[in-house]
Amino acid sequence: MNLRKPLILTVVASALVGSLVMNGFSATAASVPGVSSTEIVLGMQLPQTGGASPGYNKIDDAARAYFDYVNSKGGVNGRSIKLVAKDDTYKAGVTITTARELINNDKIFAFFGSVGTQTHLSVVKDINRRGIPDILVNSGYSGFYTDPKKYPNSFGGLGTYTVEAKILGKYLKEKYADKKIGILYQSDDFGRNALAGLTAAGLKFEAKKTAASFVSGTHGSIGLGTQIGQLKANGVEVVIIAAVSSATAVAYATAAALAYKPTKWAVMSVGADSTTFQTILGARGTPLATSAALLAGTISASHIPAAGDADDEFVKAFKKINTDFNKGPDKTWDFNVLHGMNIAYIATSALMGTGKDLTRAKLVSYMEKNGAKLSNAAFSPLGYSASTHEAFTGFWLGEYDASLLLKPLDGKRVVYTTDSGSGLVTVSNYQRPAIAADALPKVA
Amino acid sequence: MKNVNLKKLIATLGATALISTGLVVAVAAPAQASTPVCVEDAKTGVITCDGALSNGAKYRTMVPSNYGGTFFFWQHGVRPSYAYPGYVAPTGVEQMSPTSVNHKVSTVKPMLQLGYGIAAYDCSSNGLHGWNTADCVEMLNELVTITKKRISITKTVVYGGSMAGAILTPYIEKYPTGADAVGVLAGVSPSIANTLKSGCDFLYIFSVFFDPTIKGCTVMGTKGVPGHMAVLGDFAKVGALLTKWSVDYGSSPIAYPAPLAAAGIPQRSALLLAGLIAGIPTKSGHMDGISTNATLIPEGSINSTVAILENAQDFLGTAYFGGQGVAEVVGAGFYDNTKTNFSALLADEDLGRFTVGLSGDDAVNAMLATLAAYPRVEGVPASVAKLAALDKSKFDTTKPVVLLSNEADRLVLSGNQVHYVNKAKAVYEARLAAWEKRLADAKDQPEITFLLKNKPVWNTVSMYAVTPDTYTKFTATGAPDLTAPVAISGVGHESFTKEQLMTWVRVLASSAKTGKVPSQTVLNTILPKVPYLNTDPDYQPAELKYQD
Repeated sequence: MNLRKPLILTVVASALVGSLVMNGFSATAASVPGVSSTEIVLGMQLPQTGGASPGYNKIDDAARAYFDYVNSKGGVNGRSIKLVAKDDTYKAGVTITTARELINNDKIFAFFGSVGTQTHLSVVKDINRRGIPDILVNSGYSGFYTDPKKYPNSFGGLGTYTVEAKILGKYLKEKYADKKIGILYQSDDFGRNALAGLTAAGLKFEAKKTAASFVSGTHGSIGLGTQIGQLKANGVEVVIIAAVSSATAVAYATAAALAYKPTKWAVMSVGADSTTFQTILGARGTPLATSAALLAGTISASHIPAAGDADDEFVKAFKKINTDFNKGPDKTWDFNVLHGMNIAYIATSALMGTGKDLTRAKLVSYMEKNGAKLSNAAFSPLGYSASTHEAFTGFWLGEYDASLLLKPLDGKRVVYTTDSGSGLVTVSNYQRPAIAADALPKVA
Repeated sequence: MKNVNLKKLIATLGATALISTGLVVAVAAPAQASTPVCVEDAKTGVITCDGALSNGAKYRTMVPSNYGGTFFFWQHGVRPSYAYPGYVAPTGVEQMSPTSVNHKVSTVKPMLQLGYGIAAYDCSSNGLHGWNTADCVEMLNELVTITKKRISITKTVVYGGSMAGAILTPYIEKYPTGADAVGVLAGVSPSIANTLKSGCDFLYIFSVFFDPTIKGCTVMGTKGVPGHMAVLGDFAKVGALLTKWSVDYGSSPIAYPAPLAAAGIPQRSALLLAGLIAGIPTKSGHMDGISTNATLIPEGSINSTVAILENAQDFLGTAYFGGQGVAEVVGAGFYDNTKTNFSALLADEDLGRFTVGLSGDDAVNAMLATLAAYPRVEGVPASVAKLAALDKSKFDTTKPVVLLSNEADRLVLSGNQVHYVNKAKAVYEARLAAWEKRLADAKDQPEITFLLKNKPVWNTVSMYAVTPDTYTKFTATGAPDLTAPVAISGVGHESFTKEQLMTWVRVLASSAKTGKVPSQTVLNTILPKVPYLNTDPDYQPAELKYQD
């Protein structure tokens, strides 16, 4: 019995299979949602209005400004980048709807820079089930990133709250060993993540005494006043805040109203932007000088330069682009604008690196394999790999001076690095690559 | 015109049929089924025939004068066998085609106007209903068979709502030529065991936190009226709690068990926890899960708590009456939660989103710890095994299947449709992979030609009616207005707009005609024209908590 397949049939079969594969490939390539020969459509969800919006509502305009700048230079592999932003008002129920709109109506290629932990939690599972890239998420909740099998398409856009809290906690524990340290945190995964990081750093908190949680963002900040009173009543001398900007600002104002003056405030970076802080309190009738006095002396952290660091080359480049391209209602330069531009810079790098034959799977694969090499304004490398999708792996600590510039502690910027697990906090020796003269990423 | 139509109709009825306006005529039928009695409506020309299947269950067919050969066979949902306040056990064909309670819609007239023949029957076995799905499969087959002998049918559609999902899926698998298309409306994806487990979990949590005398699913299983009355008695206890909460919004602290009572956690938080663990929708007829009010509903998760309260009564109807119906089939003791991890059933996204309604981390931890430590329900192994095997389906039909559910169905959770799609897709993908391998391995031209002509196709359409973004109304006192009209779409059970229902019907008819569901391109032109009908082929509003 001749088991050999007749050559002619093999050729026919191969040709047919090949034809199918080719047709299938062509059909797939032609039907990648959000990608045409001239455009790539990205979608972002964020609070553009509502109680939690101040500060964060500038991120989309800043990112779009950078993309417009890239488009003015020819785009990415011949395609311009279009960013569609939806206002979810920081309400998870709305986030579900806006995600559906972005997918079905706007036909986005990928989610980019979506803001908020509890809001993103409401959609992250579905986004990943659909195989849609979910890049540069503006949440430091480690649960999104540390298990890529669970959320294979989600990549961080912030260092995790755990990493930041471990670094901040280590410093505070050593510096204020003789003080009673307490925490005011959001009762969500942001707050819980921060609490876990601080605890890992050796700080101990006692529930309903030195640890006070509240609910932030959706309808004012529920329970915040009571919790500030609790910290005061328990003699907390160093208060760590893990909350969004609006809640942070209200916490300071509430403390002032209660004549509560801790020795030191320390605020997680996403809630500590000085411009936003002053804007929020200004809307409540607090004079600029008063709000400046409240925030001055506060310790915070950052993964990128201080927005007020006029000598930093990324700050200089992005600031100019902001001036020239930002069409948002408020393009006042601050941390949120700098950060928005930086994640747009990283997204542009990733799209460039993925190449002209752009698919969702290829972008995710590129991010996982090459993302850690994508330089940007941060002073630490991105942590992307096959085993984690955490973004910035390091932070430097600073203190707001009287002009509300975040200045490195002890006069010298030291970048610390650690992980979201049990790793130690160490000093980073990473050297940030320079930005190109044209402020465009250079990706091989 | 009248004569022409009549002639056409007579032609469809076969040689033995004689019809005249207003005249009752006997029509030949299989020996065991009774002879249907037919009447023609003088005004509309619709011929209505009433008959009985071989077991005595009643059926009805309606054929319009412009009948075109496509016939729809309606399978109704679950019907408790015994009366209870507000419910009289049906005895006949009360529903001929899809209807909508919320919208007071009947599709009989528009379906007849489109020239479709329609049929329905009362799925009763020995005069009783309940979870008699296996009997329904055979009765539906009998109805289709005898109707085909009596009427010329070119395309057959079997379709139905709710429990019908657990009948139509096994039906088309057992009788592959028994229909050209299958439609499931707000239907159970076999097996009901998945949803029932969640219903029983819900009741179990009620017994832990609210009233230890509540028996939940352990009360079910006694056959006949005594069993029905026992279930009603237990339901009344839960109903009393729901009534109380509808007044005070569950603000009183949890009373049980004693160690937890001291924590001062409001009952509404335990209700919300129970609802989230069971997978009850966090939107309801009046509550959108989003809208807030400065006083009583200060935050979205409180809105959702009221939604779960509003949905709970119907969901408990599923648990109690569906459960009792199932228990009569599989036996008492079908529920076993000795290995249930309630913490794992609380999804991360729900814990994050509903923190306020759950009264914060400490309260959640305390409630979950209580559930973990509380004595569990040990089932009867034989009953548990029978439940697991009930209505078992392979999800492997190649016939077109068209599904429609409300995203916030409070009775048959929309996760049932998700479950169906995922199961069917797994079969399709395995089939496709096998086909691809066969093609790659093909040795001769005829085989290649054959394979290329027989490539597996994804032959399911999954449509959802979605809600408006926001729709909660508040009274002058700041309370949610639960007397306002319910949301226009996406809520309730088997409640759809007329346009949504008729779109489902048209897609079914088209699918039956071609043997394939419409392409996504075609759907993209049809569906956006129907308000609140989702256009996303990959949309999945929620998953069932159990996925067997």
